[in-house]
Amino acid sequence: MEVNLFPLFLSLRVALTATFFAFIIGVPIALYLQRSKSRFASILETLVTLPIILPPTVLGYYLLVLLGRQSYIGEFLENTFGISLVFTPTGAVIAALIVSIPFMIKSATTAFGNIDPMMVQSARLLGRTEWNIFFTILMPLAWRGMLAGITLAFARAIGDFGATLMVAGSIPNQTQTMPLAIYDALLAGDRELANILVLIMTVVALLLLFAINRLEKYVGKRNRVI
Amino acid sequence: MLDVKLRKILSHFSLELNFKANKGITAIIGPSGSGKSMTLQCISGLEKPEHGEINLNNEILYSEEKKINRKPRVRRIGYVFQNYALFPHLTVEKNIGYGLQHLSKEDKNKRVEDILAKVELSAYKNRYPHELSGGQQQRVALARTLVTEPDLLLLDEPFSALDHHVKYKLEKELLTIIKENFHGIVLLVTHNMEEAYRLSDHLIIMDEGKILQSGERDTVFYQPRVKRAAEIIGCKNIFPINKSEGSDTYEVNGVPLNCKYTLREEPHYIGIYAQHITFVDKESTLTNTFSFEVVECIKGLHQSQLVIRVEKALTLNVSIPNHEAEKLSSDTNKVYLDPAHLFLLS
Repeated sequence: MEVNLFPLFLSLRVALTATFFAFIIGVPIALYLQRSKSRFASILETLVTLPIILPPTVLGYYLLVLLGRQSYIGEFLENTFGISLVFTPTGAVIAALIVSIPFMIKSATTAFGNIDPMMVQSARLLGRTEWNIFFTILMPLAWRGMLAGITLAFARAIGDFGATLMVAGSIPNQTQTMPLAIYDALLAGDRELANILVLIMTVVALLLLFAINRLEKYVGKRNRVI
Repeated sequence: MLDVKLRKILSHFSLELNFKANKGITAIIGPSGSGKSMTLQCISGLEKPEHGEINLNNEILYSEEKKINRKPRVRRIGYVFQNYALFPHLTVEKNIGYGLQHLSKEDKNKRVEDILAKVELSAYKNRYPHELSGGQQQRVALARTLVTEPDLLLLDEPFSALDHHVKYKLEKELLTIIKENFHGIVLLVTHNMEEAYRLSDHLIIMDEGKILQSGERDTVFYQPRVKRAAEIIGCKNIFPINKSEGSDTYEVNGVPLNCKYTLREEPHYIGIYAQHITFVDKESTLTNTFSFEVVECIKGLHQSQLVIRVEKALTLNVSIPNHEAEKLSSDTNKVYLDPAHLFLLS
């Protein structure tokens, strides 16, 4: 039988994109949270942890309300750029990003926190700028600790069901990701398709875990820490 | 010249400093938590004082009044941290070259090679910090700073992370490296008096954020002027003066002590180091000789620590070599408190 692999590729695309943005957005937030002792920082910290605690459907609902056509943001995007986020793959990416970014931020905050502050002070006194220190000291030293966060974020993103369903729906060949396609197949009574999709997901997950393990070992070898 | 005037409020006390330091090594000593490290951090710009002005070679680094607070990276200050803070992911060579990024590759390599040879680490240039001994790590940290040719070198407890048996050797090495390769001002922070004495030319004694006394090393060590300063330096015999008799005799618990030095302020205490108390023959006619009895004697490896009772009135701590302690007898000896070694304290 012919298996439609669209959900697999969509899932991979959505999860990779979400993880990429989780990294880009999460790292600066983590650095800020690690350094700042302000009230705002502690509020922000609670806020970014919230998606771990909240059920994905609740998150999805919030996103729907926030980005939907009735909201200010949704209306603005629709009227100015003609962009609609709800029920699109972009919506799926946003849903995946929100559910996965806490893991990225948590691990990056810990990774930055494990760096001896004297190391940064030393670098400053040796004449380097903050940007330069970020790339020559902070990232190389925190990179290994962040890998765990990247893995978790990716796993959470590719596995999301609730938030994605609320925001992006489950439109076949448009926004239907693997978890949704599996549920769909099961609902339709197509056990065979469900089995195949589940098997594919399992193999993909195993392959990714293996790759990440190898990468961690490689980085570990390069990144000698006392 | 370094000229520091600053005030910074800390959690338990406020740091209030006013001192100058010239070429050579100035040691800042004081108990832990007295604000020594914070002083270095304010000078280097890692911490910002609330008031005052910091001047280095006529250049203002910080001034509250003129709203100047130069960034650490432009202050030309070398800082060797207690734990050395070497970059664990970079080799010795790259650690040392880290502060030379403004130079061309050839110049940078040449400077790094030069300093590596001077600190005798050329063979280790491709090693990582964790592959080095504590002493080698210290030399890398020193080289990393010296190679940038700073105007001021700050050393924060440089020997506290090292094993006791290698300390002496490393102290000597450090001193040689600094004397041969650095001609600016050095501030050394330590809580170890012996270390401070061996390494420094000038001394600043600090407690709870304030400077108690500062000046030329021997003067500060041998003639402390404030009771707390004497305690910090390690003087174990400090007594309140009951009354003064004449210009140079002070009575303590009924024992008249003759002191060669005077004090500008009104003296309240008199002190002497345990190591400066000696014993003389009973027939001696020197001033400040008294009968005594030994209350306690603890024999150490080389020195014995005695507690003696002078004229049945005054308890003194004494430190003398073991062979002298063995021969000591209150029947044939008297204790001698050299008037030149007694000091008055306010």
